[in-house]
Amino acid sequence: MFSKTKKNTELSDLNFALLMALPVIFFLLFVVIYPLGYALWMSMHKVSMFGGLKFKFIGLTNYYKVLANEKFWDASLVSIRFTLESTVLTILLGLFIAIILSKDFKYKTLIRSIVIIPWSISLYGCGIMWAQIGRGQTGFFTAIYHLFGGEDKVNLISRSYVLELLALGNAWNLAPLVAFFLLSNISTIPRRLYDLADIDQMSNFKKFWHVTFPPLRFTIFVFTCITIVMSLKLHDFIYTLSQGGPGRISSTLTYEIYKLSFKNMQLGLGSAMSFYLLFLIVGSTLMLYWLWGRRVEK
Amino acid sequence: MLKNNKLYLYLALVILLIWTITPIYWYLKLAFLTPNNINIFPPVFLPDEMHFGAFINLFGSDYITKEGILLPASGQSSQVIRGLMNSFFVSVIATIITMIVIVPLAYTFSRLTFKFKTALLLSILLSVALPPISTLIPFFAMYVKLGLTGTRFGLIIVTLTITIPFVTWMLIGYFKNIPPIEKLGRIDGFGRFETFLKIFVPLSKNGILVAAVISFIFSWNEFTYASILVNGTNAVTFPTSISSFLFQHPHPQHLSAALFLGMLPPFIVAFFLQRYISEMNIVDPLR
Repeated sequence: MFSKTKKNTELSDLNFALLMALPVIFFLLFVVIYPLGYALWMSMHKVSMFGGLKFKFIGLTNYYKVLANEKFWDASLVSIRFTLESTVLTILLGLFIAIILSKDFKYKTLIRSIVIIPWSISLYGCGIMWAQIGRGQTGFFTAIYHLFGGEDKVNLISRSYVLELLALGNAWNLAPLVAFFLLSNISTIPRRLYDLADIDQMSNFKKFWHVTFPPLRFTIFVFTCITIVMSLKLHDFIYTLSQGGPGRISSTLTYEIYKLSFKNMQLGLGSAMSFYLLFLIVGSTLMLYWLWGRRVEK
Repeated sequence: MLKNNKLYLYLALVILLIWTITPIYWYLKLAFLTPNNINIFPPVFLPDEMHFGAFINLFGSDYITKEGILLPASGQSSQVIRGLMNSFFVSVIATIITMIVIVPLAYTFSRLTFKFKTALLLSILLSVALPPISTLIPFFAMYVKLGLTGTRFGLIIVTLTITIPFVTWMLIGYFKNIPPIEKLGRIDGFGRFETFLKIFVPLSKNGILVAAVISFIFSWNEFTYASILVNGTNAVTFPTSISSFLFQHPHPQHLSAALFLGMLPPFIVAFFLQRYISEMNIVDPLR
């Protein structure tokens, strides 16, 4: 039935793939290579804005300057701490939500629809909301404290708690998505396995650890990576919640880059610092893959 | 034993709902308060008087409360309305373009093997990792040269840089999980494009729908690029139009009402499509 000519007009795998992927390859060149190259070029120049834009080549000086800047090291530590706290909270919360939602209860669809809401809210919006909750004058915790007869304000946007508040808000926003992807994993676990576990008289925790958890490992790994990347590059949420404050206590690398580039107008220095951030993002994901990801591939 | 389990489950559900709703409620109640009640100390859980004044102000009309206090219209209303329209336009167009581009792309990557596949995949992943804050300056410089600052077209392009990499990566993982039934179509004599359009796309429509939802929500919520590229121009988007409430004109009730309006579209989309999200099963795209 198949004539020879028809077979020849068929595209080969490579050609078909190229045809489909070419527009995107050009697009990637345009949105990845160009900005990256431009930023790299800028990071090796001293950029002055006064009296017209001027560039002066100074080699790697900006990179040395960033390394010698103690604000950079402070901001890196803040970024890492914020990211660690966010990731642990997000994954634990996501797991908790997924397990609860996988059970049988009334109004399941409605409750699931409510639980997904935080994820649909923008990060700048989350920042505004969580600022209202944390602030001493208007805060939720002040209201609770007064309910139990306290007199003072409970201010969470303070030196000791602001990072935790940020991590909590970030997890509030991200956890539902994690939960829904985990939920889809849980729904593929055969019910039979739970019946067998019942016969073995496993405790609830053992059931979770030996039956529920193993098929979730890959999704958990993927979302750990996503949460780390998202938290390290997070800007708008911090910008609307704490503006890096009080002092510089919640000033992450992204916020420090923002301040350098757009407030102090030191574009070269800002670009150099953003390459350290990129290095941190790519490095931490690769490390995670090396340590953990290779073992959980299905 | 069984009864106890049920009790714990309902307890956990209540905690979960409180955790989800409290931050939203705590902020949105501001929209319904009178200006005098906003800064009342200590803050109250349930205000005794609520009204829709802030929403009416936001759309450019005055509002008189029951006590006869006049709440003047917001000076920002034209910006906010324009922002809503622009955001809607940009998000819908960006989502449509994203879907047209990535569905074939993800299909190609999930089914075929060809040269440079891993390298291409990794470059997509790298663009997910790029912090917007560091590509902002290059984009700004390029946009000034091309005359794209303050245009919706420019904004759509920059939005695509956020949606395309993330959703492609996700969709490849989803497509890999679909058994290759469409190969049967090839055996039956369909061409590559026919197989793809008539068999594969209908087969994976749930995943495609979720991808569309995610890219719509990403575009709708984009703030960092828009605040530099279009703020203060005719192409102002909704997030940037309300950012002026934050620092320049502090009207908490207007900001809250505006934020509430801005939450509605993604909220509605997520509300009705959540069950498809819980059907997403992803695997490693690199495998």
